[in-house]
Amino acid sequence: MKLRLSPQTVLILDAFLEQPADWKYGYDISRNTGLKSGTLYPILMRLAERSLLETMWEPGEPGKPPRHMYRFTPDGLRFARANAAAGTAGSIGQQVALNRMKGWLFY
Amino acid sequence: MGAPRRLAVKLLSAVLRHAPDDSRDWASAMLRELDFIEGDWAALFWAIGSTTAILRRAASVWRLWFKNKTMEGRMNNKGKKALGVGLGMLSALALVGCALATLRIAGLVFPGLDHSPWAYWLAVMAIPEAIFVAATVMLWRKKGPVAAGILATALVVALHVAVHLTLHW
Repeated sequence: MKLRLSPQTVLILDAFLEQPADWKYGYDISRNTGLKSGTLYPILMRLAERSLLETMWEPGEPGKPPRHMYRFTPDGLRFARANAAAGTAGSIGQQVALNRMKGWLFY
Repeated sequence: MGAPRRLAVKLLSAVLRHAPDDSRDWASAMLRELDFIEGDWAALFWAIGSTTAILRRAASVWRLWFKNKTMEGRMNNKGKKALGVGLGMLSALALVGCALATLRIAGLVFPGLDHSPWAYWLAVMAIPEAIFVAATVMLWRKKGPVAAGILATALVVALHVAVHLTLHW
């Protein structure tokens, strides 16, 4: 399975690994990882295209449009665990802190 | 709803309307998330990032389509090189055209500027030639044919100037 594991991709995989069975929203992942939407969504798209993530529309309140959610497929979970075990995750905490700092600087 | 958030909603709605079919779900997801973002400016930055993501995806799909289905995919090496040289020349000529247009516009704002020989040589010769040389050096390894096209145009422009100087001075 060919997927470029950039530090940002590793961050996202790590965010999903925290509670792999739970569905997650795009904005929540962005807040947890400190990644901007322009970085986050291309990675989510690639993960979904490779069937590592499954997506679902959450039915919202009546009159409101549904919300998109994401979680690992079994393949995705295996892939993320294998990469985490291989130690590609690196210093995730530092990367998150760096992303947040960049966010503060640019906002 | 503040002005930045209104702009964010308009931007992502426009993206959703014009997004390719395979990106429409994603654009819709990005638009929906706006409702959960605190702060109008944060919403606007979210929308700008999301727009970039959709544009990049569309661009990569088009690039793939162009490579596989169109002439680039069917071209042999010579054809690809010729296309690169042509693109380089076209870009260089476009730059010279822009320089000339800028000089004309500057002449409207500051009358007489476009008739000044120094402004002319600077805008049409010195700056474009410097850009051509820099672009050739930067592109030589990765995009050789394009760099060759730019260099060829630079040489033609320089030759044109040399002939002009010989005949008129």
